Amino acid sequence: MTHPSTAQVGDRLHEHRFGPITRTTLALYAGASQDHNPIHVDTDFAAKAGLDDVFAHGMLSMAQLGRLVSDWAGQDNLCNLSTRFTAITPVGATVTCTGEVIERSRRDRETMLKIDLKATIDDGTVTLTGSALVRAA
Amino acid sequence: MARFNRDSEGQVSAPVPVDVERGALVFFSETIGETNPIYVNPGAARAAGYPDVVAPATYAVVLDMAAAHETRRTGGTDILTRIGADMRRLLHGNEAYEYHGPIFAGDRVTLSTRVRGFSDAKGGKLEFAHLETTITHKERGPLVTVRRDLIHRLG
Repeated sequence: MTHPSTAQVGDRLHEHRFGPITRTTLALYAGASQDHNPIHVDTDFAAKAGLDDVFAHGMLSMAQLGRLVSDWAGQDNLCNLSTRFTAITPVGATVTCTGEVIERSRRDRETMLKIDLKATIDDGTVTLTGSALVRAA
Repeated sequence: MARFNRDSEGQVSAPVPVDVERGALVFFSETIGETNPIYVNPGAARAAGYPDVVAPATYAVVLDMAAAHETRRTGGTDILTRIGADMRRLLHGNEAYEYHGPIFAGDRVTLSTRVRGFSDAKGGKLEFAHLETTITHKERGPLVTVRRDLIHRLG
């Protein structure tokens, strides 16, 4: 695995997996995140909203992308993290997080790396796309 | 059909104080599967040079939720009510963090959210609310800027 200080465009971060996401995971995440939206934990509420089942919090997957980047670059070197939620994550899914260095540049006196991020579930559906900006310390 | 309350554009919520509680922070870290001890073990965090356990990258959303609960508890109007969000139709579109400094257990921070505006997409099938929250520490200044887009599924 390349260290951020020497990482070049095209380098990939170690793949990170999280799951399978159970209903227990979602109940715990609802409590831990203080996001009490019933659409993630209450099947009766989901049915009333016209859905077949509850679905995972998108932020639980973003947290995994955050882990991918902070494990590699260090939390103190993380400058930006952003994601777009492109599909819902169903109960039972395992989320695979990947990252690729797409830009190496200078900002002030520091070397910055832009990382392209993606979260994918078992059937290949991309659930989150995003990017991070880190200091290549 | 419920729509976002577009009259709320430009509104800024009064700063809400939130205490970053160690137990709650560690519970969150464990729930997302964090194994790095700086997020779960105060002793390890101190040994690594931090004053206490460190908030993970997405902890800003938890503080935002905490601020919303605190606002309701004290009789105020939380952001979802302010923009007229319909929970049955609500989706999360985008979430972006700009980090200015770390957040630690034991910090007291304040959160303030501005309704940046609204937009439509997919020929009126979706409507977006654009929000921006600043998390600030009294001595250390702004710590995180959060930009969030929420979506209503219409039709």
